[in-house]
Amino acid sequence: MGAFGHYLSAHFATLRLEFWGLLVGGLATGFIYAMVAIGYTLVYGVLRLINFAHSEIFMAGGFASYFVMKAVIGSSVPSGIASVGLVVLGIVVGGAASAMMALLLERVAYRPLRKRNAPKLAYLISAIGASYFLFNLAGKEFGRYNLSMPAPYVNHTVFTIFGAPVQMYYLVVLLVGVIMFVSLDRIVATTKLGRSIRAVAQDAETASLMGVNIDRTIALTFIIGGVFGGAAGFLFGMGSGVVFTMGFTPALKAFTAAVLGGIGNLRGAVIGGLILGVAESFSVAFVQAAFIDVVAFAILLLILMFRPTGILGERLGRSA
Amino acid sequence: MKLRLNKTVATVASSALLLMAVPAFGLASTSGAAVKAKPTYTIGYEGPLSGGNQQLGLNMVFGVQLAINQANATKKLPFKLRIANYDDQGSGTISPAQAQAAVNNKSLVAVVGPAFSGATKGAEPYYSAAGVATVSPSATAAALAFGTNNNFMRVVAGDDVQGAADANFLVKTKGAKTLDVINDGSFYGAGLSAVVASSAKSAGASVTTYTYPETGSCGGTASTSQYTAAATQIVAGGADAVFYGGYYCDFGLLLGALNSAGYKGMIMSGDGSWTTALIAGTSPASAANNVYLSEAGGGNANLTGKLAQQYKSISHFSANGATYAAQSYDATNMIIQALKTMKRSANIKVLRPALVKQLHKITFKGVTGVIKFQGNGDLSRSSIVDFGQVQSGAINAVGHS
Repeated sequence: MGAFGHYLSAHFATLRLEFWGLLVGGLATGFIYAMVAIGYTLVYGVLRLINFAHSEIFMAGGFASYFVMKAVIGSSVPSGIASVGLVVLGIVVGGAASAMMALLLERVAYRPLRKRNAPKLAYLISAIGASYFLFNLAGKEFGRYNLSMPAPYVNHTVFTIFGAPVQMYYLVVLLVGVIMFVSLDRIVATTKLGRSIRAVAQDAETASLMGVNIDRTIALTFIIGGVFGGAAGFLFGMGSGVVFTMGFTPALKAFTAAVLGGIGNLRGAVIGGLILGVAESFSVAFVQAAFIDVVAFAILLLILMFRPTGILGERLGRSA
Repeated sequence: MKLRLNKTVATVASSALLLMAVPAFGLASTSGAAVKAKPTYTIGYEGPLSGGNQQLGLNMVFGVQLAINQANATKKLPFKLRIANYDDQGSGTISPAQAQAAVNNKSLVAVVGPAFSGATKGAEPYYSAAGVATVSPSATAAALAFGTNNNFMRVVAGDDVQGAADANFLVKTKGAKTLDVINDGSFYGAGLSAVVASSAKSAGASVTTYTYPETGSCGGTASTSQYTAAATQIVAGGADAVFYGGYYCDFGLLLGALNSAGYKGMIMSGDGSWTTALIAGTSPASAANNVYLSEAGGGNANLTGKLAQQYKSISHFSANGATYAAQSYDATNMIIQALKTMKRSANIKVLRPALVKQLHKITFKGVTGVIKFQGNGDLSRSSIVDFGQVQSGAINAVGHS
């Protein structure tokens, strides 16, 4: 008891000092996971398909925004309005590139299978194959080493919360995340597009009988997932640089987050992402950095044991 | 009298002709032996030529190529030389396959490398079994110098020397009283940071150790988000100095995170980070300013003057800051010197172990100093560790141990 008590008190002491810093960092990481998770959860909800190639959609956004930032910024140090403009440019470019990649994937890897009523396993193999092809192509074309993205702003501490510095990077991620998630929520809940997505997710045949264009809805679903994935790619690239394998780990974490929050459930994806990001951040302090993944998956297992459909439950799924 | 071609005459005449032909054959074969071609020997280079830390390997391979080009150009050697590249990406799991490929190359006599300590650990059993000499220009992990078969040699100091020098630099020279020592979980990083931690403790500093494994962006599997949390921990701990035992790709990510978190203390790393590619991989690049680095080469060894020009013309990057290029150049030339001065068997299986013996026997004067190996493959001379500091995109020498 003595030794364990000592361990706990030592770590709680550390935690008090670092709590807010770890929380803010964890939320930023969590928002990035949540953005990638949106792609998984939307495609699963509508098509009942786990888009394993989504990691390369994320990577495409990262690389596209890297090249644009490098061309526009070069070695200058932007500030003020120019910085805001550059961040918006990065998001737009990343989102657009990823959306195009997602559309391409849908056309080439999934639509032919859908037209032939292929078994679910075929979609899985197609997705994995597309993923391998794409990241190896990126490795061949762009080199197999980390590329550092020129920063669109000077990363200074904007303000402090209870002593923990909140840097520009965190603010950007949080702002972009909140704006994009709230917009998506509104789109899905109120617009015609949102209604058609929910209709196709619930029952595709009936929806088509009611006049919903299935192919167009599915394409738009991929596009939305792509936009979020690409924005996440840009934000991730700003923090860690871009490399051909950048999609692998974040996408795995994001998929975990989507399951954690309830696969098919958009708000669940956001919640799952945030929980995972914060848990990772705290586990670096409480346990070792090498055990981050152990903690993340242990949390997943625990939650699934008590709520198999995830925290918010499946929502966009089919009824039968 | 008319000569009549009867059987007797025909037999005698043909036999005479045949007998005359025999010395002609004999002459043909001896003159053929006199113009036999020079043997071609391959010197292998094993190191990271692709992947997150490729720049370290690229710096070295051109040192080897330069030495081979110069040797072939003299046309005075009794053999021809060729290079063979074995890309192990610095990984201990890829290196065994490359080692086997090297050993199976029937003209390969020795290897310059492996460059990384983890890769050396994985590959040595294969080189050792085949008796192939491996002269490493950079594998500094202290534990390597006790392998079997004497075939591993290195032209740099071990990490027992480098780590102690680094700790003394931070604690005694720069006056750090509290030190955070980080290891990246690699064979090299773990060894170096362990030596730094224990040396710093003996020198009276208070040491905290952390482990942040190599991330997916740099060839490992960990998540890059660990550095954000790492920076928070380090800043909260408020240590005077941070020492990172690992390679430049991950160190660059850590530097970016420390800069963002507002860490104001001293930061240092070892020879795995001494490359200008560190600055290119840090975002923003100014985060790398004032970082200290160390190198186990000794005496600020760099290729200079005419050699530097020739190096630049084949590599297309500068010799200044190309860590261990000079060591690779010396290692290759020492192998060539050993080959020149020994009896070269035509049987590669005899030649390889004989070359190992010869390398242990000779003393070679290279651009990095006088090289003579101890029995365990370590350098005989006491080694100097160089220190550098990153300033505005370049690494400037700031002293030595």
